[in-house]
Amino acid sequence: MFSSEFLLGAIVFLPALWAIPLIWFDGQNKDSMRYWTVLGTSLTFVLTLQLWASFDLAQGGMQHSFSKPWIPGWNVNYALGVDGISLPLVVLTGLVTVLAALASWSIDKHVKGYMMLFLLLETGMMGVFLSLDFFLFYVFWEVMLLPMYFLIGIWGGPRREYAAIKFFLYTLAGGVLMLIAMLMFYFYGGKTFDLQELARIAAGQSSTARFSETMQLTAFIMLFIGFAIKLPSFPFHTWLPDAHVEAPTPISMILAGVLLKMGGYGIIRIAMPLCPYGAQYAAYFMVALGVFSIIYGAFAAMAQTDFKRLVAYSSVSHMGYVLLGLAVWKITDGKTTGGEYWNMGISAAMFQMIAHGISSTGMFFMVGVLYDRVHHRDLNKFGGIAQLMPEYSGLAAVIFFAGLGLPGLCGFIGEIFTVLACWNFSPLLAIIAAAGVILTAGYILWTMQRVYLGPEYKGPHPEAITPFTAREKSVAYTLVVFAVLLGVFPNLLFSRMDNSVTKLVQSMSRTYDTHHGAGATVQTTQVR
Amino acid sequence: MDFDLFSVVQRSIMDPQSTGEVLRTLLTVAWLLPLCGFVAEIYWLRWSHRLSKSAAYSAVACIGIGFLCSASALVYWGVQTNWQALQATEHGEHGEHAEHEHAEHEHAELHQPADAAKAEAAAHAVDKHEHQQAAVGEEHPHEGNHAVAPKFYSGSFYKLAQFGSLIVSLDWYIDSLTLVMFTMVTFIATCIHLFAIGYMKDELTEEYEDHQVHTSHGHFTRPGRFHRFFAYLSLFCFSMLGLVLAGNIFQVFIFWELVGISSYLLIGFYIERKSASTAANKAFIMNRVGDFGFLIGLMILWTWCGTFQFADVGAEPGLFTMIRGDNGNGVMDVSEDGQQVFLHDTHGHRLETDGKPSSIGYLLLIAAGCGIFAGCIGKSAQFPLQTWLPDAMEGPTPVSALVHSATMVAAGVYLAARFYPVFTPEVLLVIAYIGCITLFVAATIALVATDIKRVLAYSTISQLGYMMLAIGVAGWGAGLFHLVTHAFFKSLMFLCSGSVIAGCHHVQEMPQMGGLRRKMPITAYTMLVGVIAISGLALPIVNIGFSGFYSKDAIVASALAYSNANSVHMLLFVTPLVTAGITAFYMFRLWFLTFYGEPRDQHVYDHCHESPLVMTGPLMALSVLAATCAWSWCLTSGSGEEGPLYRLISFSATVPADAAITSVGPAHVTLPSHHDVHDVHGQAGVLALLAAVAGSVFAYLMYGVRIINPADIRRQFPGTYDFLVDKWRFDVLYDAMFVRPVHIVSAWCAGFDKKVLDGILHASASITMVVSRWDRLFDENMVDGLVNMVGNVTRSIGYSLRVVQTGRLRQYVMWIAVGVVVLFGVLFTSMPR
Amino acid sequence: MGEVGLEAYLFVGAVLFVCGVVCMATKRNGIGVLMGVELVLNGANINFVAFSRFTPLGLDGQATALFVVVLAAAEAAVALAIALNYYNNHLTIDVDRGNELQG
Repeated sequence: MFSSEFLLGAIVFLPALWAIPLIWFDGQNKDSMRYWTVLGTSLTFVLTLQLWASFDLAQGGMQHSFSKPWIPGWNVNYALGVDGISLPLVVLTGLVTVLAALASWSIDKHVKGYMMLFLLLETGMMGVFLSLDFFLFYVFWEVMLLPMYFLIGIWGGPRREYAAIKFFLYTLAGGVLMLIAMLMFYFYGGKTFDLQELARIAAGQSSTARFSETMQLTAFIMLFIGFAIKLPSFPFHTWLPDAHVEAPTPISMILAGVLLKMGGYGIIRIAMPLCPYGAQYAAYFMVALGVFSIIYGAFAAMAQTDFKRLVAYSSVSHMGYVLLGLAVWKITDGKTTGGEYWNMGISAAMFQMIAHGISSTGMFFMVGVLYDRVHHRDLNKFGGIAQLMPEYSGLAAVIFFAGLGLPGLCGFIGEIFTVLACWNFSPLLAIIAAAGVILTAGYILWTMQRVYLGPEYKGPHPEAITPFTAREKSVAYTLVVFAVLLGVFPNLLFSRMDNSVTKLVQSMSRTYDTHHGAGATVQTTQVR
Repeated sequence: MDFDLFSVVQRSIMDPQSTGEVLRTLLTVAWLLPLCGFVAEIYWLRWSHRLSKSAAYSAVACIGIGFLCSASALVYWGVQTNWQALQATEHGEHGEHAEHEHAEHEHAELHQPADAAKAEAAAHAVDKHEHQQAAVGEEHPHEGNHAVAPKFYSGSFYKLAQFGSLIVSLDWYIDSLTLVMFTMVTFIATCIHLFAIGYMKDELTEEYEDHQVHTSHGHFTRPGRFHRFFAYLSLFCFSMLGLVLAGNIFQVFIFWELVGISSYLLIGFYIERKSASTAANKAFIMNRVGDFGFLIGLMILWTWCGTFQFADVGAEPGLFTMIRGDNGNGVMDVSEDGQQVFLHDTHGHRLETDGKPSSIGYLLLIAAGCGIFAGCIGKSAQFPLQTWLPDAMEGPTPVSALVHSATMVAAGVYLAARFYPVFTPEVLLVIAYIGCITLFVAATIALVATDIKRVLAYSTISQLGYMMLAIGVAGWGAGLFHLVTHAFFKSLMFLCSGSVIAGCHHVQEMPQMGGLRRKMPITAYTMLVGVIAISGLALPIVNIGFSGFYSKDAIVASALAYSNANSVHMLLFVTPLVTAGITAFYMFRLWFLTFYGEPRDQHVYDHCHESPLVMTGPLMALSVLAATCAWSWCLTSGSGEEGPLYRLISFSATVPADAAITSVGPAHVTLPSHHDVHDVHGQAGVLALLAAVAGSVFAYLMYGVRIINPADIRRQFPGTYDFLVDKWRFDVLYDAMFVRPVHIVSAWCAGFDKKVLDGILHASASITMVVSRWDRLFDENMVDGLVNMVGNVTRSIGYSLRVVQTGRLRQYVMWIAVGVVVLFGVLFTSMPR
Repeated sequence: MGEVGLEAYLFVGAVLFVCGVVCMATKRNGIGVLMGVELVLNGANINFVAFSRFTPLGLDGQATALFVVVLAAAEAAVALAIALNYYNNHLTIDVDRGNELQG
């Protein structure tokens, strides 16, 4: 229907272009700007759906990919493309942005600026997921950072400056590490930023360049820290609760729904293929860190009294599964063993990212609905909401159950499959990770009891609790439908990811086997 | 039914696929209808109003049609297999080839007698391949009258995910056990739905006042939630049926969680009551503790076997085939050193990877079995996770009847039975001991409980313990037999208690009741049927009793055979025997306290009334089944273990027990054969009956004619009494052991985040600030100072020179003149001549 | 009488110069100062002419003297105009009163 250049280019740049006419909008007519933004994000979402529809399941490689010179002197290209790993994230970004735009009615201050930054943010996010050029990726990474800073810093809660700066500095620190790694690859890899070419070099398929083990390890550590900050994984997660608590509801939705996924995506798209040796070397550490994040996040969530903070910590816990799933790469005697389980782990981690994108977006939205009405988030000052807003509470329950990992809803598949894939790697870590299901059930049910159940509402502004509006319903039902759809038919996603993940797994295993197979027995035992 | 049975049989056995398809379709309809009902009922107010009972009718219709489908599936299956299950096919050894001419099932219509000769032949035709037959199968039918019905049908709905050769899908697995469970669940559910129409009618109001809840403004009122109750019930039915239909262990886990959440919703139905929502949380979280174990079991099997399937799919072996092998005697293929269990393919050969036989460690298999069983412990409220079930009585009584006695809690037993082929004898020993401890602990607590529903709850736990024990001592059929009979009489008793509670306006304490049989006779006497059934009373010599008598008998017999074979585990026989007496005692205590004697609270008695027909109807229907479901339909054939129900169930047995099996594993136990059990059957039956009679008589003396004063006994053992009233202090223990530590650790984690991680961050921020402050000082003083100095010097020179510029012309001239003179002077003095 | 030597001319020039300088330094009247300037210039002129006569410079010295005369005339015109303006602004031509450029 469209050419690749147009389709991908439009997905990336349409939102930013859409922001330009906002300049001429009447600043007092807030609704027109809101509708304009919703329209723009919806169009983008439709384009991502077009991408989904035109995606060829049988291929494992990049599709719709193209490359045009951008800064020829440095060999930087404007290269975009999509494969089974980025496709679901692109569609998720499209969806979450529409929903966040719909949730933006509560923004009443400087609406014009807000909407423009919001649209710019979408361009940054789409660009990150579609870039095939490291430099371009980095540029979009930073493009996404600034609007986020302002969106939190201007439209946030009382401690917004603190939160915004914390977020900014953390991400920037990660960005700097990524920049160093990027330059390392650039100079060791024959002056190219092309991710696929770099991956080929890392896989030892290039005659001109080769990445040494030390270099891979160094680069991997830097890239990993950069992405782990974004993921976020213990101990780099403390920006998240603050950013979430202070950010306005729609920004929390985007933050949880999309931004966190960039960490996982970065690991799977850049850190692992570009440094297979480093990835294997650090595998046990990554899995252990993931497991620790699961348990730690769940415990920390249980102790919170701020509703949003609790949901933020649940994100830390849930994203731990992503790290866990990605890294279950088992090497015995210098050979990848149980590659299918690793394949399962990566697929499940990807699924968990999407599922978390649905469920945590929903959770933040549900918190926001309450906050818009009563303007507080103290868990101990709620209660009885189910009596006052039955439909809202029912939908919120579904979303929270999705977070809890209830079968039939999206969270279950990701959590269980990652854990199932983990036993092959390390039974001990698998058992600890599985214990997370108890804690998760504990804090989510306890929260629901304190907020939704009980005879009466105990906090301030009881008169402000009004029924669910049609706009809020549309957001909630969309999320619930997706949660159920993915929970019941997970193969919708798995079938799209299958070939790409298989390709990645095979290529990395082969790389490791050929490079390190002969003399690596000693090394692997050291690693393990 | 005047069709040519022979040809039907021939066709069906030649074409198991079509039979399987029909069964699958029927059961899928029964399974999915409640889901449609749920969706419709949760939005019922959109197209109806709050005072309408139509939501209930919708739910009843869904589950009722489901029952019809299940029953017809059972009949269809029976006809297609020529009712081979009802004939003594399974094990010819104990020679009880009872009459199978007029075998009959409890819900089934009359059907044609089977061709005895053909069945006889079929009985001997069980060979290697028969019990592997699958609906998807490529089975080659045996010629003529050698045809034997496949043991099960299986297939797949759709794929959830595929990773290389690893496939996770939603499957179905239908054997006689599935069919019996379907019919039982849908039947009981239908009765309970009907009962609930009457029980929940209070909710048909705009202003429901809940007297147990107090708000800051006094009384609490809310709109009724009639439709929502039935929506939840429908959701539960969907989940439960899905669990039974599941064709792989992962799918069981899925529906396992779904019944858990249905149970959560139903326990917490009165969401405004703190006690209800807390009980709901407790139930779900304790189940999750069990599911943690379940998950570990899943992980082990998934990693070592690479499949979740029960049955084989094409040439891919399922779990049962893999673990049990195919040597026909049900013994696992264990390596010489007892460390490994070899996995088998569909042809009975060892599976190989890279030329080496693939195997799973014996200890791992034990761990997997214990893990799966941990899930059963949670769901079936076994020791040590039993404490949630009594609290779950916070839910409305129909829920207690359906979810927390008859079906969901029995799902643990169902799973243990379904997964029996994967359990090693060591796991079975664990199961037996867990069941044994549970049945005793719960029964003792039931002795002192006074809330009518709690007594029933503890008796449920205790009876579930019996079932687990039975499975643990290799009494596979006995355990499931008891599951079904228990489902009938326990749901009956719960409904009766519900009728009492509704009649007495939500009084649940037995000390306030008494003599109610005069006010509510139907409830009282149907209850009595249940009490007799659970107590296991029977007429001596002719050996005719209600259903519970037969099933408990079977369990005690299995336990006796087991303890004969393994004298170390004597306790596994003694405890259930003693507890049989305790059971009879506390059940009769309940009945006497409630219905017998004189009213103790005149106010309650005066306002009490018999329930309407919509409630008593299900009571009567259930009481008939509670009494008779273990009977043979005609007197010429045997009851109990020769009856149709037991035969139907045991037809599904996946591990033959023709001969005693001695474990090679660390525990060295011997599992008795059917023959062993049969030998001790009479002995065990007499002992169990004696215990039950003793318990009943004792209860009659204490609470019926009141010759013995219970208060005296209470005074004599105050410590024991308090200990029992406190439910063995498990709640206190768990609170101290788990709940509080978890909160403490979580506070630590949150504190660690705030103090340490953020502290590091803030400290680094402050250090940066300090450094930058120094930097500023340096900048301001050193760098700027240098530049400013140049400026200042220039400026001060300028200042000092300004005095020279007087503006006086003449002075300038003077200076010029003087300057010239000086210049000359200098020139003249310094110039060389 | 013998020919008057160079020294005599220089002497006269020097006297004139000194007189001019003294006049400039002592007169408060602006016109007087101007007159002092004329004296200085003419003292210098005498030197130019004298050197022109007694050294091999040729006519260069006399040409320069002519330039000086012309410039002196122009200077006088400009200076007188300044003096007039000065008077207009200060109502006096006392140069000591004009100290606006004092630093």
